[in-house]
Amino acid sequence: MSQQILMKMRQATSVALACGLAAAAATMTGGAAASAAPSTIVIGNFNPFSGADASFGPEMVAGCQPAARLINADGGVFGHHFSCVEFDTRGDPADAVPAANKMIATNSSLGGILGPSADEALATVPILNQAKVPMFVDTGQAFFDKSNYKYVWRLTPGDDVKGYALALWAKKMGYNRAAAIFGNDAGSQSDVPTLLTAWKKLGGKMVDNVKLALDQSSYRTEIEQMLATKPQVIFTEIDPQTAGTFLSELQQLHGLIPVLGTEITLQSPWLKAVTGAIGKKAMTKYVTGMQPYAPTSGPSWTSYNTALLASKSQVPQPAQWSSDPYSMTYYDGVTIMALAMLAAKSTDRAAYNKSITAVTEPGASKTIVHSFAQGKSALAKGKKIQFVGAGGPIVFNKWHNSSGAFEAAQQVNGNVKIVGEVTSNQIAALSK
Amino acid sequence: MNIYVLSLGFGLITASILAIASVGFTLQFGVTNILNLAYGDVMTGCAFVAYLVTRAGGSLPEALIAGAGTGALASYGLNRFVYTPFVRRGTRMFGMIIVTISVSLALQNGLQAIFKATFFSLVLPRPSSYTFAGMIFTSQQLVIMGLAVVAMLLVHALLSWTKLGRAMRATAADPELARSCGIATDRVIDLAWLLSGALCGTAGVALALNVTSFTSTAGGQFLIPIIAAAVLGGVGHPYGAMIGAVVIGISAELSAAVISPSYKEVVAFLILIVVLLIRPQGIFAEVATQKEVVA
Repeated sequence: MSQQILMKMRQATSVALACGLAAAAATMTGGAAASAAPSTIVIGNFNPFSGADASFGPEMVAGCQPAARLINADGGVFGHHFSCVEFDTRGDPADAVPAANKMIATNSSLGGILGPSADEALATVPILNQAKVPMFVDTGQAFFDKSNYKYVWRLTPGDDVKGYALALWAKKMGYNRAAAIFGNDAGSQSDVPTLLTAWKKLGGKMVDNVKLALDQSSYRTEIEQMLATKPQVIFTEIDPQTAGTFLSELQQLHGLIPVLGTEITLQSPWLKAVTGAIGKKAMTKYVTGMQPYAPTSGPSWTSYNTALLASKSQVPQPAQWSSDPYSMTYYDGVTIMALAMLAAKSTDRAAYNKSITAVTEPGASKTIVHSFAQGKSALAKGKKIQFVGAGGPIVFNKWHNSSGAFEAAQQVNGNVKIVGEVTSNQIAALSK
Repeated sequence: MNIYVLSLGFGLITASILAIASVGFTLQFGVTNILNLAYGDVMTGCAFVAYLVTRAGGSLPEALIAGAGTGALASYGLNRFVYTPFVRRGTRMFGMIIVTISVSLALQNGLQAIFKATFFSLVLPRPSSYTFAGMIFTSQQLVIMGLAVVAMLLVHALLSWTKLGRAMRATAADPELARSCGIATDRVIDLAWLLSGALCGTAGVALALNVTSFTSTAGGQFLIPIIAAAVLGGVGHPYGAMIGAVVIGISAELSAAVISPSYKEVVAFLILIVVLLIRPQGIFAEVATQKEVVA
């Protein structure tokens, strides 16, 4: 009996050692398909696909699949095809850390990843960075504004930048008295300091600043207190259920006033919850959202959108993502990885990571390209390129952040209508 | 208008929903000794039924009747086909809590699978607002408050003046003795589940009406204040639950006005802790002590 147990223990130890060695090997080599024989390069879609933030994952897939489609249609990278593979973090660091370790250990052809999101970035970025996995993160956390992680790249603005955009648009609309109604969660509160600073700099008066406890059955007292300060506009970032309750009660008690929210305000769960609560007309009349500038025209967007609409089998109802700024930046992230591999003449993760800025930075002698095919062709002719993505030009600073302009948008008859823009120069001037 | 008077009015609305829910919760616990943590999810299921009724053109009374009926049948079914088999096998209170948590997760995920992780609103005409003694109410909130008052009076009448009410109280106090006195305790338990379920369904519809936008987790989130109201009043005691609901509902709204909206939940539970420190068995003692909820 004891001998059997001993044998089982030895077997278990051998298996554990083998797994450990495999994981270590993947980590040490920097992974990816560096071999001569063409194989598939896995692009990990490392995001929540279940749990409270399950809506994040499909948005990412809607960017990855069209990019992979175009890359593969053009012969891939050195003959290697791209494949978007989902890794569910469940939006929880406790699940995300083992998922990251497993992804690294079991995918020798992992070329890079999209994600992680704000839910799991702080816990998983150190692991992924150590394993030399280039990642296009979609977290807005201020921590990544000036981080030294070599493999982290961010194409979306940090949360704190949103505060500047909100203040600039409100001022442009002629408002002077505003109330800040933000959720008491860390993500929402990260917008507030810059909003307060920017609003003050612009000469506005913040008459009320409320941290709302989320998902309560009533906010009537908070509403009465806010209205007593006579705001002309409400700045907000609150989750859909809270927003539905808050705004419907405001409408019932004294009628709505203009609401200016972050990009969450324009996302489909928020729109569904609030439209159901206050009605379509009120939604159009009173609610405006600020989202990262994402033009729905031009050659890069056309490439993205055509490939997206052709990806029906991988992306259900693809048209819903046509104007989604996050899906566009995921698309750009995958295309950048592929072009950087070509520029570095290697699919090795550590090698091509150094070439990412080489394919995005502007330059007088550079050829501007709007798609993988154009970039591949130009690189093959020995030219230097600047990839301009579906989300616009990409200029990374020394901390690998590229945040551009913002656009103000409203919901009109089920569609997002762009009503104006806050430029990156205006934001830069205000944030000095 | 005075913010404290307004808050008092707003607190009464929250208290009304809490009272309907917590009386149903505590009534069933008192009679059956099962702490049903799937109660909030049954509420959500009833809210979805009300949504379907209003989407099909049904009115608020029809939605309330459908919600109450669904709650009654769902609770009865849960007891008959899920909980009773465990009770018959001798599962103790802690084991039954785990069973009810499992049912809660199954219901929540089942609702999410059917209705998806998105938001729903009852399809009803926009309510008009009324001002009364410095407080503001909508027509729907007046209906909710009226329902709470009627439900509480009916529960009081049932427990005080009917044979069934006396049988329920006897079963809650000592089921063995009640059975030996000729009371059909199984039937009484079935009726307790039906009644508790009807209150649960009514509260679910009222909650959906109040929060305006709800998801498959709405009732589950509301379970903590329900339990708090029941515990504050003395678990198993319907009158205690009514008082607990009023204390928690009003203190949450007043604390938002006096201290900070961030702490409205915290203040309500702080009151709960303080009351329980002074009186561990809750405001009404006897049932909680008999059920060994407190030492």
